[in-house]
Amino acid sequence: MNETLSQIDGSGRQESMLVAAHLSKRYEDGVLALDDLSLAVAPGEIYAMLGGNGAGKTTTINLFLNFIDPTSGQAIVDGIVTHEEPLTARQKIAYVSENVMLYTNFTALQNLDYFARLGGQNDYSKEEYRTALLRVGLQEEAHGKRLRDFSKGMRQKCGIAIAILKDAPAILLDEPTSGLDPKAGLEFISLLDDLRSEGKAILMSTHDIFRAKQIANTIGIMNEGKLVMQKTTEELRGENLEELYVNYMVSGMAVAS
Amino acid sequence: MFKTLIEKELKEIIGSTRFAVTFGVCACLIVLAFYVGARNYQISQTRYEAAIAENFRQMEGITEWLNVNHHIYLPPNPVSSLVTGISNDIGRNIQVQGLGELRAEDSRFNNDPLFAVFRFLDLDFIFQIILSLFAILFAYNAICGEKEQGTLRLTFANGIPKDKYILGKISGSFLALALPLLIPILIGCLLLPIMGIPMSSQDWGKLALVILAGYLYFGIFLSLSVWVSGLTHRSSNAFLLLLVIWIFSVLILPRSAVLIAGRAVDVISVDEISAQKSVLNAQIWREDRDKMNEFKPSEDTEIDQIMQDFQKMMQDLSAERDQRMRELGGRLAEQRRNEQSVQERLAFSLARLSPSAAFSLAVMNLAGTSIDLKQHFLDAASAYQQSYASFMREKTGGTLKGGGMVMVFRRDGDDVTPKEIDPQEIPVFQYQPPSVATVFNASFLDFGLLALFNILFFAGAYTTFLRYDVR
Repeated sequence: MNETLSQIDGSGRQESMLVAAHLSKRYEDGVLALDDLSLAVAPGEIYAMLGGNGAGKTTTINLFLNFIDPTSGQAIVDGIVTHEEPLTARQKIAYVSENVMLYTNFTALQNLDYFARLGGQNDYSKEEYRTALLRVGLQEEAHGKRLRDFSKGMRQKCGIAIAILKDAPAILLDEPTSGLDPKAGLEFISLLDDLRSEGKAILMSTHDIFRAKQIANTIGIMNEGKLVMQKTTEELRGENLEELYVNYMVSGMAVAS
Repeated sequence: MFKTLIEKELKEIIGSTRFAVTFGVCACLIVLAFYVGARNYQISQTRYEAAIAENFRQMEGITEWLNVNHHIYLPPNPVSSLVTGISNDIGRNIQVQGLGELRAEDSRFNNDPLFAVFRFLDLDFIFQIILSLFAILFAYNAICGEKEQGTLRLTFANGIPKDKYILGKISGSFLALALPLLIPILIGCLLLPIMGIPMSSQDWGKLALVILAGYLYFGIFLSLSVWVSGLTHRSSNAFLLLLVIWIFSVLILPRSAVLIAGRAVDVISVDEISAQKSVLNAQIWREDRDKMNEFKPSEDTEIDQIMQDFQKMMQDLSAERDQRMRELGGRLAEQRRNEQSVQERLAFSLARLSPSAAFSLAVMNLAGTSIDLKQHFLDAASAYQQSYASFMREKTGGTLKGGGMVMVFRRDGDDVTPKEIDPQEIPVFQYQPPSVATVFNASFLDFGLLALFNILFFAGAYTTFLRYDVR
């Protein structure tokens, strides 16, 4: 934990792909959604943010995407402060939302083609799109179907394929396993592992303690806008994460060690 | 990236079932409007030719030019049949006598009131109602729909500048909707020569301008819809708001403008003018009667000389009577025209706050069926009346009909069989519809307004979206 914060504050900044440096967000209605969040995700690492609704997970992702400006602090992607150079920063991020809603009138392949081009990837062939869809577990017969006929899980897979095709160094995942069945969930974990091996820095918000423990390098628990606990999986070895999580949530304990 | 955004709009809109259905309906209506216009032209042309033939037929057997009842008719025009404007409401038939006031009678709606009930399905109607609804239907959720769907968030997770996105959105939507509409328009244009409608190059020019005005009008509702879509966060709210704007703009504002102008500016009525003319006419007749009573030839004057003197006096009286009536008629007509002009200016200025009114006025001017049509026809008839009067004076030795009393006398014992007149000698009335340059000048203000509305609404959509919360 301390090592990570030293990266944020000092010379280690360049090493981390995703950095939140004392990031706070107070909305216009006065709600403090995020309170002095500091975290860092290095290339080849997965960071899982756990927390209930309103804990500040999605606000953190929105700040990294610069959909909102921070009240104080900085969200940094590959050394780029997102609210200073949002367009450049976004080029380095692939994003999968909780409910992937693509263009229902388009087929899976058409959606992939459109979003790949938006992401600056203009040279993919149809075969490469098919390979990406197969990689996320979407069967070939579904590739040419319109998304209006897709289940939530199938759409989610499409969204992940889009993120893969963007080939960005950082990936933001907002509740990515929420629509997946257990088998697809397992496949997804394996996929994340592959992406990590490719050197992607992955920041994932989730309610799924089990999956977080299974795949993440670092786990942070958020409550009411604060990061109340942050530990590596090694630090968590021997501890009961579920119990920790419930304790932090119930007691609302402040400040991670 | 811009190309990608445009391509996506094209694919998304054209690939939707909603597009297939609404485009099918619009395409049918556009082609139908051309067909109905062409058929109306054919019917009007047949009636026009029949009316001219009947006019000449009624002159058969007439031996005195003074007995001729000559009528001129407003010829149908192909573009006027496509954008009917007020052409069916004004009289198409004027009796010309060489003297006196001209009055256009026998309007189509006067003769066939059934057609006035729901009016025609012309291009003005199709573009004004259908195209604006078509634009709203596809653009009301352009921004908020994407937000609701979640695709806006995903799109902006990429390095897309908002200005490029909104430009791509509007351009793509315009192309996706406007380009397919060219197909039924071109089919409609092809129908015209196929159905034997004689379109001159001037007519094609006017029709092209009508279509251009239609696209400008379509662009207004498209950018307005995108703007409203960016002002709201729910598609249903955007649709409701646009529907209210549409009703107000298309149905209420133009009509209200006319009502307000009618209340605000008094115009001397036709009945009032007639009453004043009748008073003067009666007074002149009284004076003429006194003068006729005073006519006393000396006893030693020859009968021929008496008749000539009387005829000359009658002609002088007729000329004087015509002069006085014309002066009063001219003054009252000018007063009415001036008041009408003020009323029209006020009505049109208010109505032009609505893009629909600006569009309608533009296309009616282009088609030559605007409110000026009647005056244009009367002016042409008035000019014709001069040449007709010269012709009649030549034929009758100076006497004209329309001045009131005509005396024709013949000596006892004259047994010469009078010769029939040749109606073909009568000068031909040729109505020249205004040229492309003239109609474009007349519609320039409305074209400018249509362009201005486009710029305003586009700027509104653009600036609103730059501040739009894409989350």
